[in-house]
Amino acid sequence: MNLSVGITLAAIMTIACYSYLWRENTLYRIAEHLFVGLGAGYSIAMGWNNVKTNAINPLLNDGQYILIVPLLLGALLFTRFLPGSNKWLARIPMAFLVGTGIALSARAAVLAEFVQQIRATIIPLNSVNNILIVVGTIGVLAYFFFSSKFTEGIPGLKYGALVGRYVMMAAFGAAFGNGVMGRISLLISRLQFIFGSWLGLM
Amino acid sequence: MEKFLASIDRRYIYIVLLLVVLFPLIRPIGLPISISSWTESFYAVIDQLQAGDIVVMSIDYSPSGGPDVGPQAVAIFDHLMAKNVKVIGVSFLAEGPPQLQQIINPYMEGRGKTYGVDFVNLGYAAGLETAIAAFNADMKRAFPVDFFNTPTNTIPLMQSVTDANDVKVVMNFATGIPGPAEWVRQLAGFSPDILIGVVTVMGPQTEPYYQSGQIKGLLSGLRSAAEYEVRAGMPGSAAAGMDAQSLGHVVIILAMALGNLAYFLGRKGGAK
Repeated sequence: MNLSVGITLAAIMTIACYSYLWRENTLYRIAEHLFVGLGAGYSIAMGWNNVKTNAINPLLNDGQYILIVPLLLGALLFTRFLPGSNKWLARIPMAFLVGTGIALSARAAVLAEFVQQIRATIIPLNSVNNILIVVGTIGVLAYFFFSSKFTEGIPGLKYGALVGRYVMMAAFGAAFGNGVMGRISLLISRLQFIFGSWLGLM
Repeated sequence: MEKFLASIDRRYIYIVLLLVVLFPLIRPIGLPISISSWTESFYAVIDQLQAGDIVVMSIDYSPSGGPDVGPQAVAIFDHLMAKNVKVIGVSFLAEGPPQLQQIINPYMEGRGKTYGVDFVNLGYAAGLETAIAAFNADMKRAFPVDFFNTPTNTIPLMQSVTDANDVKVVMNFATGIPGPAEWVRQLAGFSPDILIGVVTVMGPQTEPYYQSGQIKGLLSGLRSAAEYEVRAGMPGSAAAGMDAQSLGHVVIILAMALGNLAYFLGRKGGAK
């Protein structure tokens, strides 16, 4: 049995978290609050370290005065917590962040997520897999075609949408199955930790 | 019958699941592990790397997803070290650097590898997709210092790289954002192959990138980690957990079957 502080504490916290399955209890709540507190503290520390490394140190040590601009923009984000009518100042860096983010992702999204994905569905219908991909894609697109009622207008839309519905149900089933599989994996890992690393039974 | 099924306390199911998962961990059964095409493709890309090649491993998972995706990263890092491939480790999730450090710690203490020469942990860069774009354009500028505050431009491994075109492969191990979509978008126009490892729930939504050829290999959850360990001939903790995984699924399937049986019997009996 490994009685080192770190391993033992981690094992107790694991048991505390799983104790919720029996019913909510004080031990679980202690673990929950510790996790939230530590997570928030850790994120703040990492964020501050990032600002220090990328902006403050180069500004003070290397004289990169241009970095005053992003530092000021960052500081403006906190003006939303000010009392009175100065909260609008936070919109300036927010607009900058949103604009940069959209520009960066939109630039590549057209090629990576639109053109390439369409290209991946233009395939010969010479195998069951290929037929399923093409029929499933068209069916789901038909399901989300809202410019005409399914019962009238475009012929075949009703049946296309029906196929799309079943394809999506299969996809949701696969996602649920994967969800279960993932949760069992987490349980296995924690059991390996408790019975192996802590108790030394594996 | 339906009243009995409907009134089973869920905690009995938890106890049964716990016992069924625990038993094969203590006494392994040795059920066979087949290799999927996703894993085979992933392995093929890693296996064709030559000694001295440089790759990037982006560890973008938190401790909560670590048990599912972490064993993949461990297996691949071990394989890369065995092939004398050099690894630049980065993270665009605040919780990532300690996860990466856990993977490389065994090699910090020996095994014939040197930190800064064979592998490096550059730490965390804030900004999600924006930071990924900055890293791809200029690695040393995006990470001025490594996880231990050593200036990046003094690290031997970083002397031969400037941008993403200087590495052979970029691997992303993720539990959400940033993840496959961000890396696929920001590596468009760069030369390295992209390999992705994700938690099990993200597998289906990531597969379209694999089918379209935008990523060359895909690992999904602990199962894929076990497949990779077996394929690389280095069975580890993931492979050891596969008996438990399979038996755990049997319990879940039985519970779902019983739940559905109770529902249909109740409906047949007129209950709502």
